[in-house]
Amino acid sequence: MLRLSAPARWWRTALALTALALLVDGTLRGNDDRWPFAPMSQYAFAVDLDGEVRSTHVRALTVEGAEVVVRLSPGGVGLRRAEVEGQLGRFVADPSLLEAIAAAHARRHPDEARYARLDLVQDVSGLRAGSVTGTRTERLATWTVPDPAHPMGCCR
Amino acid sequence: MSAGARAGAAWRSWWFPALPLRRVALLRTLLHLFVVLDAWRITAWPLAHGDVPAELYRPLLLFRLLHVPAPAPPVTHLALGVLTASALVVAAGRLPRLAGAVCAAAYLYWLGNAFGYSKVDHDHLALLVALCVLPTVGAARGGGGERAEGARSEAAGWALRCVQVAAVCTYFLAALAKVRFGGWDWAGGAVLAWAASRRGGGFSRLLLSVPHLAVLLQHLVLLAEFASPVLLWLRGRALAAALVFWGLFHLGTYLTLGIHFLPTVVCLLAFVPLERVLPRLPRLRGRVPALRR
Repeated sequence: MLRLSAPARWWRTALALTALALLVDGTLRGNDDRWPFAPMSQYAFAVDLDGEVRSTHVRALTVEGAEVVVRLSPGGVGLRRAEVEGQLGRFVADPSLLEAIAAAHARRHPDEARYARLDLVQDVSGLRAGSVTGTRTERLATWTVPDPAHPMGCCR
Repeated sequence: MSAGARAGAAWRSWWFPALPLRRVALLRTLLHLFVVLDAWRITAWPLAHGDVPAELYRPLLLFRLLHVPAPAPPVTHLALGVLTASALVVAAGRLPRLAGAVCAAAYLYWLGNAFGYSKVDHDHLALLVALCVLPTVGAARGGGGERAEGARSEAAGWALRCVQVAAVCTYFLAALAKVRFGGWDWAGGAVLAWAASRRGGGFSRLLLSVPHLAVLLQHLVLLAEFASPVLLWLRGRALAAALVFWGLFHLGTYLTLGIHFLPTVVCLLAFVPLERVLPRLPRLRGRVPALRR
């Protein structure tokens, strides 16, 4: 059997206990910024049985005049829906940030029609006793891209 | 023996159980193969992040401290190359310390990039811990001398124990977070309805069509997560039953919500005596060099 020396056990113990303390503290008092010692916070929020569910989308008007749903996914514009939701406040405060989504689209899908205007919208579903009763749509922000061929100066 | 000495011995046998090196060798291969699958198929979006303008990059504290720039090609491609190559070297049983450390660092970079755009997932914690601790075991494939076939080691026991503790932390701390952010009434709320209405498929409609089922399942989730530390003390069939329960739990959330938690699921293998279980799978024997006797 291979035994560990006392120093080898000491540093392993110190490392394990430090990481454990950081993890527990992260969940009890920390936030996402502390990752990998962030709270285990997926699905850790209250949803009222008679509350509402918000689901975020981005819609675009292309230079060809078509209304399209922007694919918020790795294969789409490279940004996931939850990532747009994670910085929703920034988009609402400064709608020009939506142009970054047009730039990502232009880089990732150079053959598709460019986005001339972007709308940040949310589907709001009402709940009663935990069941969806109806859905309405709210528009949170709009941005018209000044130069759709080169959003944020990209793709020249 | 004095009380202090007894406590010290108990501490040592819990954190440093002498476990077979072969178990570490097998776990190492499985987890590093999974890392390749993860980077290419499951958590593949850091590559796509390279095309997203840096205005939307919200670097994590650790990355700000290390002055890591916003990801962009060709660095993202290089990171994927280094991650894949180092993981395959470790999976093949070569350079466990050097390639293992490189792989752990590359994976940390990969995940920090994945979570650097205002969405942090907690399902990778145990796997990240595994990649960090497994290199400390050193060579684990049967060779000569002290590390011969069937050898046991305290270093192996510590590494496996760390992965187990990290997996349990993922569950137990998730329960604490639910109570912290959602209150004790989290389980009585509509979080499953929330998730299902946003991304659910056919199974989720079935789940929501049965009255009170969602609330019942939410209580079950919270109870199971709070009870998860028993995994660290269960043995034999009770442990196997608990592992099957968690496997079915994750399968259930995948079928209803599309949430799989695979990076945590693979780390539950640290509870399994792989060196005894895998050779019993007849098709594997003879094909996987590490299983040949």
